[in-house]
Amino acid sequence: MLTQIKILTKLELCNLYGRNVFRFSKDRKARKKSLGLLAIWVLLLALLVFYVGGLAYGLICLGLEAVVPAYLITISSVLIFVFGMLKAGGIIFRKEGYDILCALPLSKGAVAISRLLSMYVEELLLALAVLLPGMAVYAWNLRPGVGFYLTGLLGIGSIPLLPMAASICIGVLITGISSRMRHKSLVAAGLSVFAVLGIMYGTSRLSAVEGSIDPKMLKNLSASVMALLGKVYPPAVWLGRAITCGDVLCGLLCAVLSLSVFAAVAAGVALCFPKICQGLYSSAAKHNYQMGRLKASPVLSSLCRREFRRYFSSSVYVTNTIIGPIMGCILSGAMLVAGTEELEKMLPLPLEVGQVAPFVIAGAFCMMTTTATSISLEGKSWWIAKSLPLSAKNILDAKILMNLLLILPFYLLSELFLIFALRPGAGELLWLLLVPAAIILFSCVFGITINLRFPVLEWESEVRIVKQSASAMLGSMGGFLLAILCAVAMGIVPKGYAVSLKALLCAVILAATAALYYKNNRFDLCGRV
Amino acid sequence: MLKIEHLTKHYKGSGKGVTDLSLHIAPGDIYAFIGHNGAGKTTTLKCVAGIQDFDAGTIQIGGKDIRKDPLACKRQFAYIPDNPDLYEYLTGIQYLNFTADIFGVGAREREERIRTYGEAFEITASLGDLISTYSHGMKQKLALLSAFVHQPKLLLLDEPFVGLDPKAAVVLKDIMHSICAGGGAIFFSTHVLDVAEKLCNKVAMIKDGALVACGDMETVVKQGQSLESIFMEVVEHADTD
Repeated sequence: MLTQIKILTKLELCNLYGRNVFRFSKDRKARKKSLGLLAIWVLLLALLVFYVGGLAYGLICLGLEAVVPAYLITISSVLIFVFGMLKAGGIIFRKEGYDILCALPLSKGAVAISRLLSMYVEELLLALAVLLPGMAVYAWNLRPGVGFYLTGLLGIGSIPLLPMAASICIGVLITGISSRMRHKSLVAAGLSVFAVLGIMYGTSRLSAVEGSIDPKMLKNLSASVMALLGKVYPPAVWLGRAITCGDVLCGLLCAVLSLSVFAAVAAGVALCFPKICQGLYSSAAKHNYQMGRLKASPVLSSLCRREFRRYFSSSVYVTNTIIGPIMGCILSGAMLVAGTEELEKMLPLPLEVGQVAPFVIAGAFCMMTTTATSISLEGKSWWIAKSLPLSAKNILDAKILMNLLLILPFYLLSELFLIFALRPGAGELLWLLLVPAAIILFSCVFGITINLRFPVLEWESEVRIVKQSASAMLGSMGGFLLAILCAVAMGIVPKGYAVSLKALLCAVILAATAALYYKNNRFDLCGRV
Repeated sequence: MLKIEHLTKHYKGSGKGVTDLSLHIAPGDIYAFIGHNGAGKTTTLKCVAGIQDFDAGTIQIGGKDIRKDPLACKRQFAYIPDNPDLYEYLTGIQYLNFTADIFGVGAREREERIRTYGEAFEITASLGDLISTYSHGMKQKLALLSAFVHQPKLLLLDEPFVGLDPKAAVVLKDIMHSICAGGGAIFFSTHVLDVAEKLCNKVAMIKDGALVACGDMETVVKQGQSLESIFMEVVEHADTD
């Protein structure tokens, strides 16, 4: 069994981040793409290192050096948990390659564990990216003893285990429940969105608990931060303390405990793996179709209908892209419930909520657009669109239209909340409707632009495209960053110029959208994708 | 119907592909394209279908250039690859309806054609099921149905008989004959030399990206010989340099 796990894990990891394609592909285009993806990862890593290093340095300057490890462990654990929960089902129960592996003399449990281990390696890299720069800043400033390094080394290896175990439990539960349903993808997507919203609600409740911390504790800022971290994720505080104190024994205990929990979860997954796979992959064919009347539709309508069917066939695609619009509605709903004055009091800066609200809402809507990965998700079926008498405009218009139609009900609901919350005049109402619409439109078109330049059509799991591809990262960043930059500009500009600035921003955004749209429509889909 | 002139396509890095390939396919032709694995058959078909760009040469379909007027060309043909990866999230009938919509086939015509070809291939009962539940052979049948639903003038087929059951193979051959009798043309790659010899009136042989023999079946296959022996002889001894 161990040998099988070793071989299978090696197989799982051999193309991690496309390195096998880069090593062996003779196609210069594929190698260039791999290099481009690597460059994006390096850039994101550099940003993360800079951010974490700065955060650690800031905490040390504030005299909060004792909380640095626990703080960083909490950040990495939360990231691993949330992202792990959304991708666990897709990675562990991936269909691609399953039949071939099952035909080999291999245990199905070994297949499941090898997938868990490959997931662990990816999460470990994330933990290293968060922990190492922060710990280096800590060590440089405080010159700790050997115990710090030994415990740190033990700790980093064990950090992903507990959040992974929790995220795997939720992911497997969602996949297990949905595998028994007829509309598996929709049920899985619904449960995942529900889980994410539940976690967000839980976290907000924890923040509310912050107010009930003993006032005496506030005298000691370090202790109160540790108390808060302890409420979010207690193991981070235990391990953080072990690292700062150089307590190797305590670190070892944390590592053993984490490993035990992870091993128990892995064993459970290995046990239920064949049954869930069977439920997921065996869809009953009825063989009872009788020809009835068929209806002809216009090309765009037919293409758009297909885009919707594609979208709702993938739970990971739905989960990752629907959260943004839901967040937009929650934010505008909160604005209506709490009232703008209350919100303005809570903000750290003297901002007029009414001025920045449309941009913030638009930012939430653009967190992850469907268009950014829509071409990559065509995968091996891309030949169909290419061989049919369809222009680039036909194909791309359908993808944009589908994204806009998907967002429309959320946009309308969100606008309704905003209108009731802000009670704008006629002029203000126009901007309230136009600003988010312009940014959302830009985001959809920008998503297509990015995916045309970073398409990945050869993939084993949709998770790789929706969560880890360059186009998913860059495509989503465009609209989101634009909205945030506009919000900052609105916050800075004097009130008298607010309307002029909104008009200018809208004009620039719509002009940029039109330019990208026309450029995309002239893209050579056959030669370059 | 199809005019390929000096087609050259080399893959960067490996250098493999197709070199200076010229072929003319007239209405009524059933043209077999044979060669060993990696010889350049699929590359040629993909270039003709407009799903892969090429380095040099021209491809004309019904007098239209695939590079200059791709949509006009694509309206005239149907292409089916060797491994038809169809939209697995659609049902068979949804896929056929989608294809018919793209080609602007009227509701009544599509109903009639789907009914006729669906019954011929014995796939009608499965059209309400998701394509993800189909076997390889059923996907192949559905891909063929999607081609026949818009009655193309030219059929480009990559290994069309792979995965088909014996009855479906016979049905396909009959349909191919009737398409050609109606003035259409078929250009298809195959490794089944017996089928090529009996079914086709023309044949082209490719080795390492270069055409080594082509023409009427009767001219290429001389009396007393088989296509298999000719293929072995030509491909073994052809100098492609």
